[in-house]
Amino acid sequence: MSTTVVNPYASMVARSRREFLYAMNPLAKVAAVAPAMILLVFVRDLATPAAFLVLAYALILVGARLTWRLLLLLLIVIPVAMIVIGIGFSLWVDAALVDDTAPFLRIGGWTLFTGALEVGFATALRLGAIAALALVGGLTTSGPDLVRASIQQLRVPYRVGYTALAAFRFVPRFGHELSVIRAAHRVRGHHGGRGPFARIARGWGYIVPLLAGAIRHAERVALAMDARAFGAHPTRTERHLVPFRTRDVVFIVLLLAASATIFIVLFPWQPA
Amino acid sequence: MRSSAPLLRVRDLTLTHADAAHPSPSDVSFDIAPGEVVLLLGPSGSGKSTLTLALNGLIPHALPATMTGTVEAGGIDSAHASTAALSTHVAMVFQDPDAQIVTGTVYDEVAFGPENLLLPLDEVSARAEDALRRVGLWQRRDENPDRLSGGGRQRLAIACALAMGSPLLVLDEPTANLDPQGIDDVYSALADVVAAGDRAILLVEHNLDAAMEFVTRTIVLDQAGTVAFDGPVDEILRGHTEELVAMGVWLPAATLTARMLRERGILSHDAPLPLTPEELAAALPAGGAHLQAGSTPVSQETAFSTDIRDLHRQLSQPPSDARPLIRARGLTVTRGRREILHSVDIDIEAGSLTAIVGANGAGKTTLIQALAGVVPPRKRQVDVDGLDPATASPRDLAARIGFVFQNPEHQFIAHTVFDELAHGLRLRHVSEAETAHRVRQMLGRFGLEHKADVHPFLLSGGEKRRLSVGTALITGPRVLALDEPTFGQDRARAAELLALLDALRREGTTIVIVTHDLQLVAEHATHTVVLADGRVHATGRTDDLFRDEHVFTTAGLRLPALQRVLAAHAGTTAS
Repeated sequence: MSTTVVNPYASMVARSRREFLYAMNPLAKVAAVAPAMILLVFVRDLATPAAFLVLAYALILVGARLTWRLLLLLLIVIPVAMIVIGIGFSLWVDAALVDDTAPFLRIGGWTLFTGALEVGFATALRLGAIAALALVGGLTTSGPDLVRASIQQLRVPYRVGYTALAAFRFVPRFGHELSVIRAAHRVRGHHGGRGPFARIARGWGYIVPLLAGAIRHAERVALAMDARAFGAHPTRTERHLVPFRTRDVVFIVLLLAASATIFIVLFPWQPA
Repeated sequence: MRSSAPLLRVRDLTLTHADAAHPSPSDVSFDIAPGEVVLLLGPSGSGKSTLTLALNGLIPHALPATMTGTVEAGGIDSAHASTAALSTHVAMVFQDPDAQIVTGTVYDEVAFGPENLLLPLDEVSARAEDALRRVGLWQRRDENPDRLSGGGRQRLAIACALAMGSPLLVLDEPTANLDPQGIDDVYSALADVVAAGDRAILLVEHNLDAAMEFVTRTIVLDQAGTVAFDGPVDEILRGHTEELVAMGVWLPAATLTARMLRERGILSHDAPLPLTPEELAAALPAGGAHLQAGSTPVSQETAFSTDIRDLHRQLSQPPSDARPLIRARGLTVTRGRREILHSVDIDIEAGSLTAIVGANGAGKTTLIQALAGVVPPRKRQVDVDGLDPATASPRDLAARIGFVFQNPEHQFIAHTVFDELAHGLRLRHVSEAETAHRVRQMLGRFGLEHKADVHPFLLSGGEKRRLSVGTALITGPRVLALDEPTFGQDRARAAELLALLDALRREGTTIVIVTHDLQLVAEHATHTVVLADGRVHATGRTDDLFRDEHVFTTAGLRLPALQRVLAAHAGTTAS
């Protein structure tokens, strides 16, 4: 457990004025990019997602702390993933739909049309842009802060918010438990053959012990929370206020304006 | 509140758990006054844990149980107040440290309770700082609790209880899930709390040796859940020793040892029974000659050696040439890029009960998993009864070595107890009649005849454990391997399992066990393998190894207090 790679609870504090994303309210970071993320699902061109990808990268590179892990993610992982997805989708597109476009590659009787490439890479760029926009908030917000902001500004009941946070601690525990259960079943010789159906049947066998352990653990956690007065009052002391300031409004307005500008200028829904 | 008023007042309390036939505890009355440190004792099933849950109102408010009688904490009747309201009068520390942590940093965790109480900010931070300093975690306040050791997390749970500001702390088996180092950690923190004198404590604990140093009073429940004794701890334990043993109550290891020495006429019946290892050491005859008669749990068969060089010679001896049942040569195991076991040579004798011990991260579980083929080792490194686990199929391997996991539920794969036992035989294509016969035999052997058609998950904890051992034995293996089988269990269930293992060994089954309970090793294991940093640090007969504390301390282990005192005693009498 001590080797957790990412600590979702680690506090995230700006170390310089440049790293402004850490100081924004978590909800502002969600509200500013959410409309663009939703609209991006419905675009089909190349330019619009590319523009949003650039916008998101610019925000992250300026406003977040540049660690080697972040650079690896932005400069290697995401681009490689987009290329793989782009090529994959290009091959998958029904050639009959795009056979009026110029051929890009011919191997024997098989042709890869530029139209297919365009569709494939539009999809890849779209996914990349949506992911990058999500990372603007995701890389610069800690779990507890998001919960606190939801309670303080969105009036989510604290009983829900803090219980969700507590439940988050279950995840690594269950991962470990699952690996032990799998080893135990393997030792018993419960193989059940190869293939997807045997695998599903095996997986079903893991669920009962996993759930039994999970329910028992959850009950214990609930008792421990009760014993520490969780739910005693309609509100609880908040040590960390996550304020919603003018700059959060400015951030939302600016990003929404930028998104609107991109959509208007490149208007991706004009009839072909 | 007047200082003479009791912190807790329990009157005629009877609790019946939702799925229990009989009430336990039953008709219990007692008070706890400020400053008292009370040890709650009783045999398994007497309702100790159930009683603790009623003290802060979790029963009847959060758990299904019928309750008669009254519990008053700080003058508040628990039947009419919420758990939250009672939490400022009674704070709880539970057994499993992982099930009590709900936030992401040590500081947030301690502040969680005071925040729920809606205390002002400066009060929250004052309490959090005070509580963390008292358990020695202030320096680590910004860390994720996952990074603390088991003992550290349980100390954190104590800090959280302190931060509630309640004058009474209730601890239910707080060290049952911890290794020896963790137990020491928790007890040094508790001793500090007791020394400060501002909190009364009610402790349910099986590890009595550590608790004896500061407990002032004991309440003993009998099998029926009624109060059998209530009074100063030394008076009760010394004055009613035989009754307590007959009731199935656990006594300090020093007391049990002294009692045995008395029976053999080594200790006088006139002297009071010792309760702590130090008292036992003081009571032991100065000559040490009597101990050489071989009457302590440490040296059941051989005399105390007086020459430590002799021991080391023995340790460094090449493995004996008598053919061992399990044999590992140059066993090297890597996980990912990290090498966990480095060229380990081990021989496990047929008919032995061999314990593998070592500090956290020494590779104990990795070793037993490699020996049993749970994680197949490399070829030609391990030989189990003539079979190489690296290449053998699970079916063949199961006929040579049975493996029992820490949590029995993990290995259940059938829908009835009968099918669970039959599984191993059906895999081997044993005829249905023969299967039924052998399963019936096994059901009888483990007292599960009436449960044949029950789903394994619906068995009681002890029955699940017996079933898991039964499934490992059904194919008739000569070796049974168990990974930490007593971890997180109460002492009674652990004792039941160990009695079963002792019986199996007498019948000729070779047993290999991973454990961190050195008291258990001293009492039950014939041979011990001490691992340190993925290497064999020492191996030999348990009696020989336990004579030299050095063997364990250099491996990062601590002998139980009793063994430490006895080893020291043997050392002083020898010189």
